[in-house]
Amino acid sequence: MLLLARGPNAWPRLSQLKPQIFPRPLGSEILHQRALHSSGKGPAETGRQGLHGGPRLRTRLLITALFGAGLGGAWLAARAEKERQRQQRRAEALRQAAVGQGDFSLLDHHGQIRCKADFRGQWVLMYFGFTHCPDICPDELEKLVQVVQQLEAHPGPHPVQPIFITVDPARDDTAAMARYVRDFHPRLLGLTGSAEQVAQVSRSYRVYYSAGPKDADQDYIVDHSIAIYLLSPDGLFTDYYGRGRSAEQIVGSVRQHMAAFQSVLS
Amino acid sequence: MAAPSMKERQVCWGARDDYWQCLEENAEDASRCQQLRKSFESSCPQQWIKYFDKRRDYLKFKEKFEAGQFQPSKSPANA
Repeated sequence: MLLLARGPNAWPRLSQLKPQIFPRPLGSEILHQRALHSSGKGPAETGRQGLHGGPRLRTRLLITALFGAGLGGAWLAARAEKERQRQQRRAEALRQAAVGQGDFSLLDHHGQIRCKADFRGQWVLMYFGFTHCPDICPDELEKLVQVVQQLEAHPGPHPVQPIFITVDPARDDTAAMARYVRDFHPRLLGLTGSAEQVAQVSRSYRVYYSAGPKDADQDYIVDHSIAIYLLSPDGLFTDYYGRGRSAEQIVGSVRQHMAAFQSVLS
Repeated sequence: MAAPSMKERQVCWGARDDYWQCLEENAEDASRCQQLRKSFESSCPQQWIKYFDKRRDYLKFKEKFEAGQFQPSKSPANA
């Protein structure tokens, strides 16, 4: 027999682990005795158990194994249930965040009231700035438009909506926003609102802004944080891209998010 | 006052780049770029001029810093 030929050390472990696989008649007791004899236990102990305790030992091992398997199974089931509950809680938290977090009420450059829910089902690329911005905002908006154009070249199931939100509501009314956004992209949506509404949306996206001193022309520069935000079709904040990221890098990242996207809203 | 249009922005940036180029070529001697400075000032809002002047200082500093040539001034307290 191959198993016997493999030497004394392989046997005892096998017979202890899986006693139930040995058919009872067919000389299993002899095999078992050999195993116990060669397992290196003291001769007295081995002799007694080997000759008379074989079936009893097997039963005990069998019960222990079954009991152990039962415990293990219960533990696995409990763990699976816990994981399921954790995922459910996470999905619920995401659903709440999708609806509530980062919500806003602003006017688009056509004068229509817009809130976050209006963009559900679309990937939103959002940039905060102001129309009197000397160089950075136009650069970033150009980049944003390139990203949108590259993404539109291979459209996915959810369209991409570029949005520009002003941090200078005192000067950027809907007319100023309309004049500004049309230079960049036909679908770029300019959003403005009252000072409070703009403060609220900026706070929820952690955008800092601060108007500088006015000169003789009443002109001023608004210092502000620079980042392009990506919202998923559920309206969840998904990623952001600082100034150092190129259009190509952003396109790559957005595509990854698109491929991994699974809606939490059903 | 309306914000500059895209066309006006491009005219302003062009004038700025010409002026900066002149400074570059004349070892930062502004007296040799007065004509271009005038054109820069007439092409951009006053606020932008101030901003671009500061921005150039910053970019120059950054260039120097990244090239490892920047020597921080020694604190007099430690001298």
